[in-house]
Amino acid sequence: MNIEFPYKVKLQFPGDTEYIPSIRKFVSEILQVSNFSSKFAYRSEIIVDEISNNAVIFGCNEENACIDLECIVYEDRIEFTIRDQGGTKDNVDKLQNAIKRTDENDVSKKGLGIEIVRMLSESMDIQVNKDNLTSIHIVRKREEPSS
Amino acid sequence: MQSKEIIITTSEVPGTKNVLLISFHGELTSLYITKISDVFDKIDYDSRIFVIADMSGVTLISSAALGEFMGGRKRLIERGGDFVFVSMNINLRTKLNLMGANKIFKFYNDTRSAISAYKWEYEKHPEKMTISFPPFLKMVPPIRSLVSRIARQKGYSNRDSFRIETIVDEVCNNAIEHGLSGKNQSIDMKVTIDPSKIEIIVTSISDPDKINALKAFLKPELYNHVNWKTDEKRGRGLELIKMLSNEVYVDSNESGTSVHVKKLREE
Repeated sequence: MNIEFPYKVKLQFPGDTEYIPSIRKFVSEILQVSNFSSKFAYRSEIIVDEISNNAVIFGCNEENACIDLECIVYEDRIEFTIRDQGGTKDNVDKLQNAIKRTDENDVSKKGLGIEIVRMLSESMDIQVNKDNLTSIHIVRKREEPSS
Repeated sequence: MQSKEIIITTSEVPGTKNVLLISFHGELTSLYITKISDVFDKIDYDSRIFVIADMSGVTLISSAALGEFMGGRKRLIERGGDFVFVSMNINLRTKLNLMGANKIFKFYNDTRSAISAYKWEYEKHPEKMTISFPPFLKMVPPIRSLVSRIARQKGYSNRDSFRIETIVDEVCNNAIEHGLSGKNQSIDMKVTIDPSKIEIIVTSISDPDKINALKAFLKPELYNHVNWKTDEKRGRGLELIKMLSNEVYVDSNESGTSVHVKKLREE
């Protein structure tokens, strides 16, 4: 059966940085089998790496914490949603400020990952609920016409 | 030039019994060897077998200090434990690697990763991952590679990982072939891995038009080596899964099919 767009792939993995290389490679591979270019797949891989690392480092305080990654693949774009199980208020505030940054020149050493994601994506937004559960939604559009 | 006084603090790690976290701050020069040595002397080796050294505040490690760490590690290793470094800055880590310290010590990016490694190694703590994907055959190679990579990452041998990959491939292909098709359908895979085994459960919604074919496919005689013929075109995948794994059972009813596979680590 051939691929029909849009389709959804959901992953839940332990909040451990050890899993991230395998997850990013997986996302790259599903994009390549969906006829996205290897350049697009590699750049999407970088997005997955950055947002997953942030989720693990800043959003996994609990024992057995895990990360939810949802990818919706359209013919012309991919949308990522990553959810963690809640970080400290301080970390969540830092993340919100980094994502909502309006001053183009305000790039500190910390938060470079978010800047890379911003450069590689069409849009990025964050939602935090009352328990500090964080959800980041990212849209990345295809750069080349589909083959 | 007098270096700044070092600060060493020890703390418990919540959720673990035998782990001790020691945080070092400052320049670990030869002036402070006694202080480092005292920390190792004070450890209760009957109750602490795994020590995590948080090096985020360290800017220098002398070879004498490294020697103290090797001595402390030796005491823990003799009791079946380990001593690991976490959060070490990249410059220090590069220097230690050049000295060959990476052949002796384990380094983790953060305390959390070190605790996960402890739980995996010493408490045999299983780790779980779930994947939900649409029933497209092109999805199978990425899925099989993902599970295989994780098995290798967790220390399974190439041979074990390849066998796990083959099992995942067969189970997923069967789920796609016999399940409902379409982009709105999904196949759910749950992977539970621990140091001794991996368990894979693949669940799909059965296609009513294919239910008879599925029942024929799952008929008991196909599970029997005696009745299985090499020229039989159907059922080879399931037979292969059975050969490569230690436990297989299929739970199938009108609404869905769930395949459970358990494979023990061989090497």
